[in-house]
Amino acid sequence: MTDKSDTPESVDSDCLEAFDHLYAYVNGELTDKKSVAMIEHHLDHCRSCFSRAQIERELNERLKNSGKNTAPVALENRLKKLIEDF
Amino acid sequence: MSEAQEKKAFFSRNIRKNMDSLYSVAHRLTRNSADAQDLVAETATRAWTAIDNLEDEKRFRPWIFRILHNCYISDYRKKSVRPVEFAYDELATSDSDSEIASLLVKQPDEFLNWWANPEREVVNNLLGEDLIRAIESLPESFRSAVVLINVEGLSYDETAEVLGVSPGTVRSRMNRGRTLLQKALWQHAQEAGLISENYLMESHS
Repeated sequence: MTDKSDTPESVDSDCLEAFDHLYAYVNGELTDKKSVAMIEHHLDHCRSCFSRAQIERELNERLKNSGKNTAPVALENRLKKLIEDF
Repeated sequence: MSEAQEKKAFFSRNIRKNMDSLYSVAHRLTRNSADAQDLVAETATRAWTAIDNLEDEKRFRPWIFRILHNCYISDYRKKSVRPVEFAYDELATSDSDSEIASLLVKQPDEFLNWWANPEREVVNNLLGEDLIRAIESLPESFRSAVVLINVEGLSYDETAEVLGVSPGTVRSRMNRGRTLLQKALWQHAQEAGLISENYLMESHS
């Protein structure tokens, strides 16, 4: 657990410990059962972290949809030509 | 079809299949369309010369992303006129608890209040272009991790392979990158008046 003296006043040290695993958890990358149990227990009891986890999930969805670009036709033609010449 | 023709057909098919993804990642890295197109073309050229090094055809996606990332590091980053970014990597390998604490302790109280008591509506009200601007404001190593994982859907292990770092470093970069992304979004939300007055009053009480 984080030393309280290093912790910003408005953020609890238990939350910081849970936060260390939060993104891996919401990204489906947390496989260690003990860590999953720890964060799920914390989210069940901490309204703030529960809200943050919800926001991070929603942000994941927004990023998935907003960050993508369609390649311009000029690039498509350029790559086609490039590969033909290989 | 000869072996050479089959190889070329395989390469062409997979480039086409991944073209939008390659262009998206290149665009987020270079922050402009012309450089992104050049980067993808250079990636395709280098990938073709190295195609015999691809051991598992099913791993084409992380393999080509790694080549793109290496092209960006070796060519485009050197050309960039943007100021040198802070060496976050040193912090990214430090102890994970203290590293998040050390990042948060540097943030303004208003942001920490929001971080600890987030408003869901703020994320819902942000436009796609706000998210893109926030992603592009991230230091490069964090930007790469966030784009590869959250936009392109690569796993932490695949992202580690692309970036040439350990999965632990990827996890660490995600923690820091997403926290900085939240800060960029919070700053934008404040400027755009998306954070409610009631919330700001509560934060200051």
